[in-house]
Amino acid sequence: MKTLYIILAVFFLILSAIFSYLPLGTIALIPISFAFLFSYLVFKKSETPNNKFSKILLILTIVCLIFVLVKVFFIKNELEIDTKFEQQKIENNKDAKKDLEDLENDLE
Amino acid sequence: MKKTLLILVLFFLVTSFKSDTENPVKSGESLVYSGSYNMSGLLTQIAQVNMTTEKVTTAKNNYLHFSCSLATYSKWDSFFKIRDVYESYVNPISLKPSLYKRNINEGGFIKKEKYVIKGSKVNSTVSFKNNQETQNSFTIGTNTVDVITFLYQMRTVNFANFKVGQTKSFTIVFDEKEMDISLKYMGKETINAGNLGKKECYKVSIAAKTAALKGKDKNIIWLTADEHKIPALIQFSIPVGVGNLTLKSATGI
Repeated sequence: MKTLYIILAVFFLILSAIFSYLPLGTIALIPISFAFLFSYLVFKKSETPNNKFSKILLILTIVCLIFVLVKVFFIKNELEIDTKFEQQKIENNKDAKKDLEDLENDLE
Repeated sequence: MKKTLLILVLFFLVTSFKSDTENPVKSGESLVYSGSYNMSGLLTQIAQVNMTTEKVTTAKNNYLHFSCSLATYSKWDSFFKIRDVYESYVNPISLKPSLYKRNINEGGFIKKEKYVIKGSKVNSTVSFKNNQETQNSFTIGTNTVDVITFLYQMRTVNFANFKVGQTKSFTIVFDEKEMDISLKYMGKETINAGNLGKKECYKVSIAAKTAALKGKDKNIIWLTADEHKIPALIQFSIPVGVGNLTLKSATGI
C-alpha cells in the first residue's frame, strides 16, 4: 500500500509542478491537493518517524502551493503591448473602408 | 389646449405601442471583459475581450463599426498566444451588416475571412497562413447576420415584454454556413457588472445547433435590464469545459 501511495504522491507532485509552472491559476490546486494527500499518507505510513523522503514530498508540495498562491494573488493579469496587432487593426480598418466603398459602387 | 392634448395623446400612443425591438447600440461604446476557463469552480483567467463600436463614414454612407478583439494575457502568450479580431460594418439604424471580417491567430493557426454582403448575396474571401486565398459566393436569408452583429442585435430585443420561457430566433452565418440560434428568456437576476456595480439583468439562454456549444441552458448571457442592455456576464459551455466572460468596464454607453 505504501508503494502505491509513493507512486501516486510522486505522480501528483510532478503534475503539481507542471501545473504551477503553467499559467493555470487556481486549477493547479487540484493536483496539489492530491499530491498533499498522498504525501501525507506516505508520511503517516512511514515506519521511521524521520523519513526524509516523505518530508521532501510534503515540502515540495507546499512549495508548489505557495508558488501558485503568490501567482494568483500577487501577479496581475496584463496584456502585452502588441504593436504588430494594433498596426494590423489599423490596416484592417483602412481595407474595410475601401471594401465598403467598392460595395457602394457595385450597388449603384 | 386641444393641440397640446392631441400632442400628449399622440406621444402616449407612440410610447405605448413600442415595437419588440429597439436600438440601444450607439457609437463610442467600449466594453472590456475578462475571459476565464472554469474547472470544478476553480478559475484561470486567460484573455481580455474588447468590444467597441464606432462610426465609420465613407463618401456615400455612414456605418456602425462593431469590433470584437480577443488577446491572451501575457502570462499565456508563451504557451498559446491568441490574437483574434471579429468585425462587422452595419447600417446604424437597421443594424444590417454590409461587411464582416474575421482575422484569427490562435497559437499560430492563422485564418482570415471576409464577407461582403449585398442583400442576400455574400462574396466571401478566406485565406489561411501561407495559403492562397479562396473566393466563394453564397446566398443567405434576408434576416441572416454575422456572429458579431448578432451579439449587438440581441440587445435590441425588448425582453421587458417577454415571459419566462419565451423564445426568439435568429439566423447567423458562420464559416460560410447559416445557423439557427434561439434565445430563451429565463427571468431576471442581479449580478456584478464591473464598473457599473450590481445590476439587475435579463438572463437569456442561447441555443445553437453546433458542436461548439454544449448542454441545454448552459450558454447564458446576462444583459443589464436597462435601456443599454449591456452584456454583463456571458457563460458558455464548450466541449473542453466551461468558460465565462465577465464585464470589467463599460464606457461610452
